Amino acid sequence: MSSQRKILFLSVGIAILLALVPMWTKRNDFINIMILIFLYVCLAQSWNILAGYTGQVSLGHAAFFGLGAITTRFLWAWGYPFFLAFLSGGVVAVVFALIIGHPALRLKGIYFAIGTLGLGQILKITVGNVLPTVAGLPTDYIATYNLIPRYYLFLVLAVIIVAMVYWISRSKLGLGMVAVREDEEAAKASGVNTFRQKMIALSTSTFFAGLAGGAFAFYQVSYYYELPFSPTWTFDALLITFVGGVGTVVGPIVGAFFYAIFKELFARTFPELHVFIFGLLFIFVVLLLPGGLVEMVSRIRRLVMAKKAVTGFC
Amino acid sequence: MLEIEKISVSYGDLQILWDISFKVEEKEIVGLIGPNGAGKTTTLRTITGLLRPFAGGIQFEGVPMEKVPIHKRVELGISLIPEGRGLFPGMSTLENLELGAYTAKGRTCKDKTLEQVYELFPILKNRKKQAAGTMSGGEQQMLAIGRGLMSKPKLLLVDEPSWGLSPLLSKVIYEVIGQINHSGVTVLLIEQNVRIALELANRAYVVENGRIVKQGDSRNMLDDQHIREAYLGTESA
Amino acid sequence: MNLLVLAQSLIFGIFVGGLYGLAAVGLSLVFGVMKMLNVAHGELLMLGGYVTFSFFSLYHIDPFLSLLPSAFILFLIGMGLYKGLFSPLAKLHEETKIKNSLLIGFGLSLIFHNLAIRLWTADEKSVSVLYSGWGFSLFGLRFPFIRFSGLILATIVIFALHQFLTKTYFGKAIRATTENWESASLMGINIEKASMISFGLGAALAAMAGTIVSVGYAIHPAMGLEWTLKALIVVVLAGLGNIGGAFVAGVLLGAVESVSTLFVGPYMEVVGLFLFLLVLELRPQGLFGKSMG
Repeated sequence: MSSQRKILFLSVGIAILLALVPMWTKRNDFINIMILIFLYVCLAQSWNILAGYTGQVSLGHAAFFGLGAITTRFLWAWGYPFFLAFLSGGVVAVVFALIIGHPALRLKGIYFAIGTLGLGQILKITVGNVLPTVAGLPTDYIATYNLIPRYYLFLVLAVIIVAMVYWISRSKLGLGMVAVREDEEAAKASGVNTFRQKMIALSTSTFFAGLAGGAFAFYQVSYYYELPFSPTWTFDALLITFVGGVGTVVGPIVGAFFYAIFKELFARTFPELHVFIFGLLFIFVVLLLPGGLVEMVSRIRRLVMAKKAVTGFC
Repeated sequence: MLEIEKISVSYGDLQILWDISFKVEEKEIVGLIGPNGAGKTTTLRTITGLLRPFAGGIQFEGVPMEKVPIHKRVELGISLIPEGRGLFPGMSTLENLELGAYTAKGRTCKDKTLEQVYELFPILKNRKKQAAGTMSGGEQQMLAIGRGLMSKPKLLLVDEPSWGLSPLLSKVIYEVIGQINHSGVTVLLIEQNVRIALELANRAYVVENGRIVKQGDSRNMLDDQHIREAYLGTESA
Repeated sequence: MNLLVLAQSLIFGIFVGGLYGLAAVGLSLVFGVMKMLNVAHGELLMLGGYVTFSFFSLYHIDPFLSLLPSAFILFLIGMGLYKGLFSPLAKLHEETKIKNSLLIGFGLSLIFHNLAIRLWTADEKSVSVLYSGWGFSLFGLRFPFIRFSGLILATIVIFALHQFLTKTYFGKAIRATTENWESASLMGINIEKASMISFGLGAALAAMAGTIVSVGYAIHPAMGLEWTLKALIVVVLAGLGNIGGAFVAGVLLGAVESVSTLFVGPYMEVVGLFLFLLVLELRPQGLFGKSMG
């Protein structure tokens, strides 16, 4: 069986297992932590598309997450069918991305980073001023709140995003993106329409970020309207993706898993310690292990295999 | 004084120099000639330490340069006048010159050296306070050379001193280089204009595609068939 | 619109603008020498404020007295950070170097933020001294001593920096490095050392601003991002590498923000951010800078 098929079978298997989880346990805390993992996977993978594959480090990811959240929240609270509200979240995020895309992508490297940071802040401050209150829900929504649909929404979204990233990584589109990441000038010279690549990456990234935000709005019963716009979400995405392995499919998944676990683990004793730990790991990764945890694992595997090959001769 | 032994230099994935070896003896003027992109500038940059060879070694006055950082090489007596001059455009002529004397050796003799530089290039004295970036090409070249002398170098590396200059100015610059050599400074020079280079230098090496393809006394090279055809042909008019 | 209110607003804006300028000058200096934007700059400012706060709450040392020691401590921390984290990047290709230094700065900002919460709790803190409320009045306008001296201090420090950069040999070496680091190294200037000291200086300048903020305003662990953004805005407005212009641009930003509060209220920060984005897009060399070909 080719490795591609192996991966496919393994992924489907895992997805099915995950889908069956709510059948085996009714423990809310377990379901919640799974949701948190899925949420982080969505958040990080969507960021990974733009930053990992195309090399454009955006510090404004929270803006799109927030736009998705606020759109979905309002439409859903006003009584529109949930899936309409959910998809609209993604759409609004992409539309915003398309509007700012042209001027934003003109900026190079660090200017793009600080520019998106500034943009994210503008949105956060504006929303915080226009809607300084808690996002409310009609009381019957709260009464009929059920965790399980939220679980499946996040699971399905996470699976879709991961599948999308996997597909990109194997497609011609992905090659183009990586070409832009590695050497934009050279890519241009060899005929790659770098702007188009970046625009596609931006649109995909923001669409999924918006959907993730929409899912969040569906899940979190009450929160301040400006919360999803907080730069913390962007920082989470960066930490998770880099520590896990930026530019890989599995990296953000691994990172999300540990990030969520650590967050829950230290929530009562040392809140935010997970940020500190990941911050240190992050710096370690940037300086010494650019491929993150994924690279570390593959290096260990190679070492083990090399050892095996030698002893095999005896 | 300077020994280059089989150095190979890459810039990223692109290999520029392939196994280059040559020497420069004290008080000589040695020329590096060859077509654009051959690797001449890369060679000079490697001698200063801006680039590191992945194979081979450089020895200056018997001292291996492997572990010696750029700023230390300057203190040892190597001074580069870069292609494009490399001046500090926002700083004044005087400041540029002062920075040339940054090393300990340079600083102790700074005033005296400054006088000597003004003697060589009187116009620099008039332009003391002027921002280097606003001066003409010729003045900038003079400033670059003057600055290169401020560290009291033993070996002066000069990259295309006549670039962008009128024939008259080029002649002046070359005379100055001759004078500098006369005063005891060894010179390794890159020059596009092969005739001038060979007239000024004692010896020369021809660099093509990152390799040394010919070497010898300048006089012999002026007569050489290959050189005449490749480099001197278009000038005989 | 009352002219007095406008003028008072302007005054307060200029006071805080002086601090913006002080913070921005540090950032600009570091960028000029190392060509990297340190996005943890605001956190260094915060740490400076907390060091002063600690000197005050633990040993009752007056914040203006602990100004220099606090700056010195951050100077050492800055040099250490450079040596440990940014120096290894120096050998990298330009683009990777810039990207990685952005990322490292980012990681540092999170670590420092967290550290501050751990050491001093997430609450807002302020140094409250005897003279905290004092001030004088001129033409019906109020000049609080501490905020006013913040501006004076910033001016003095910038002037001292200017003298250092123009009159001392090492200062000229630093300027040379900002103009052309290759040529600077060819002059015998130790670029590593120059970078390390510049980074330390940048941290020290941030710390001084932080000290004033701790006594004249308030500090809290999350303020790092705010101040980094302010410094970034100012640096972009003035033009990257324009050290002197950074101070003026800082004062301007403070003034503009403060006055716009009268018209757009809580959106005054957005005004600054919009200007920032506009300048990034249209005139990357800044309002005062020269076009770089």
